[in-house]
Amino acid sequence: MKLLNGEILANKKYGENLYKLEVFSPYICRNCLPGQFINIKCAYEGMLDPLLRRPFSIYEIDKKFNVFSVLYMVKGKGTDFMARLVKGGMLDFIGPLGIGFKADEEIKNYLLLGGGIGIAPLSLIAKELMETGKNIFFLAGFKDEAFFLWERDLIKIARNYKIFTENGSFGQKGIPSVYLKENMHLYKNYKLVVCGPKEMLKNIQGILRDFPGIVADALMEERMACGIGVCMGCIIKIKKSPGGFEYKKVCTDGPIFNLMEVIFD
Amino acid sequence: MTDKNTYETDLSVKFGKISLKNPVISCSGTFAGGLQYSRFFDISKLGAVTTKSFSLKKKDGNPSPRIWETASGMLNSIGLQNEGIDFFISTQLEEIRNLGAEIILSIFGESAEEFKKIALKIKPVLKHLKAIELNYSCPNVKAGGMAFCGVPENIRTITSEIKSIIDIPLIAKLSPNFGPVTECAIQAKKGGADAVSVINTVTGTAFDIDTYKPRLANIVGGLSGPAIKPAALLQVYQLAKGKIIPIIGMGGIYSWQDAVEFLIAGAAAVGIGTVNFSQPDAGEKIIAGISEYLISKNINSINDIIGKAL
Ligand SMILES: Cc1cc2nc3c(=O)[nH]c(=O)nc-3n(C[C@H](O)[C@H](O)[C@H](O)COP(=O)(O)OP(=O)(O)OC[C@H]3O[C@@H](n4cnc5c(N)ncnc54)[C@H](O)[C@@H]3O)c2cc1C
Ligand SMILES: Cc1cc2nc3c(=O)[nH]c(=O)nc-3n(C[C@H](O)[C@H](O)[C@H](O)COP(=O)(O)O)c2cc1C
Ligand code: FES
Repeated sequence: MKLLNGEILANKKYGENLYKLEVFSPYICRNCLPGQFINIKCAYEGMLDPLLRRPFSIYEIDKKFNVFSVLYMVKGKGTDFMARLVKGGMLDFIGPLGIGFKADEEIKNYLLLGGGIGIAPLSLIAKELMETGKNIFFLAGFKDEAFFLWERDLIKIARNYKIFTENGSFGQKGIPSVYLKENMHLYKNYKLVVCGPKEMLKNIQGILRDFPGIVADALMEERMACGIGVCMGCIIKIKKSPGGFEYKKVCTDGPIFNLMEVIFD
Repeated sequence: MTDKNTYETDLSVKFGKISLKNPVISCSGTFAGGLQYSRFFDISKLGAVTTKSFSLKKKDGNPSPRIWETASGMLNSIGLQNEGIDFFISTQLEEIRNLGAEIILSIFGESAEEFKKIALKIKPVLKHLKAIELNYSCPNVKAGGMAFCGVPENIRTITSEIKSIIDIPLIAKLSPNFGPVTECAIQAKKGGADAVSVINTVTGTAFDIDTYKPRLANIVGGLSGPAIKPAALLQVYQLAKGKIIPIIGMGGIYSWQDAVEFLIAGAAAVGIGTVNFSQPDAGEKIIAGISEYLISKNINSINDIIGKAL
């Protein structure tokens, strides 16, 4: 974890409100595990709004050229600032943050399920899994065709995947959790890794309750102030036997948690 | 960048029985015990590190969401989540000492009784501490917290009771949510405090106009950051004019210029809080900035600017 400045090599529009930012950083490329994130300053030096940094997962790492990328959706002030960054400028960020993803030696098959921008960290996890010889199946769901170009990136990593859109404009019409519910029996010996909106994670948790023994990792999101475990702002409820819960920090205890232990209020 | 503790000007300050190598202190709850920040700079460069407020027992704090960013500020409703004073004594104290930093321990009790029990527990470790900050001003707890500032006599009685248990400089941390802090500061002084920390967060809230729900699960939060700086500065200035008690000024300091502004308004030292989240090496930068400012103005000692605007 370091406070870093990296040169922006590209900031490409990927779709409606979707961008990919490429940054030169040997330190991140050497030290970042899939699932980890960086905390980006979304204001020029001396500007006080937006005040806090914004967390983003690492999307790609190119060790040969020391370039990493972040795939992001424009949501508000911070991401709007990011969308205006141009090649040649510098990015001020802290990273890598959080505990990264490590493949389980015992498990051969992985099912990755991403909803919306949740596919960003899963893409890097997928790459890592493929490189360690795992068998993966990637399920992705989007509202519309905004993520159309993402498929080009995915093809380079995985051949076994299914894309759903709610309006059928790209991939199959439908939603991945419905597909999962109907076909879960095929994936009983898979480990799941999921990332996406809370509603989706909650649904999947419900589906998996009927399959005791299934292991599922969830990449969680919460609003953050510090990103380094200091402010106690980013907590989620995690089951603690018997019947109780404890608060865990998404930024330093996560962002990866056992999905079946997350309590959604 | 100047080397450790070797600034060319004299940055050391003394107020009450508290002496610091420079006036820049990390604010409670925004720096944990400094361990994380030691990855970004040498935290022993700070005047002191103020710990998160510790209660007698571990506290879970409030439900999520706990933070919401506002224009140049943030609301938090953490609710004093902390591991309890035993954790400080057994673990964190050693960690901060190993980093070479001076320590101000912040403590919080829901009642006078709880404050006293904590005071008894920390007796054996006092020699390692610069001072104790008494948090009379948290806006996010059901019992105690800023309610103490609503009845200023509480501050006198609790401070003097703690003073009778432990012999160490005491700092009363005050809330801006009951108007001017003057009466609370007077009571803190009467109770034997050496200084007051002014201000804790300003209560506020925010709503989602699509769902009609509050942005914070707790509804009420404490506002911090640049948004509160003018309000904090006025509190410091007015209190300093009364020459009642030394003041550690805080609230929205984001740059060395902000810190200097608090010092000229009469603060004997300054606290930096939310800025640590945005800029984890802010402490080091602010100290260096103050030092360079003094050099550029040909001022030998920081004490020559304190209260200049009064
Ligand atoms: C560990 C982690 C990894 C993330 N990875 C990515 C990523 O790879 N790509 C991506 O596009 N987004 C990612 N996000 C979400 C991203 O941080 C937010 O979309 C961003 O902070 C919005 O900032 P803004 O100023 O544009 O929007 P704001 O104006 O602050 O808010 C707009 C909307 O974004 C939501 N939001 C704001 N801050 C956060 C936050 N810290 N966490 C979650 N939601 C937030 C708000 O609830 C609101 O609905 C990640 C979040 C976390 C916690
Ligand atoms: C996330 C957060 C947690 C805080 N926790 C504490 C605390 O435990 N005890 C305390 O006395 N003040 C606490 N504060 C208040 C700060 O110490 C400080 O008084 C206030 O934030 C104003 O300074 P700033 O604008 O520089 O942050 C907290 C503030 C924030 C933002
Ligand atoms: S964001 Fe501050 S503790 Fe996680």
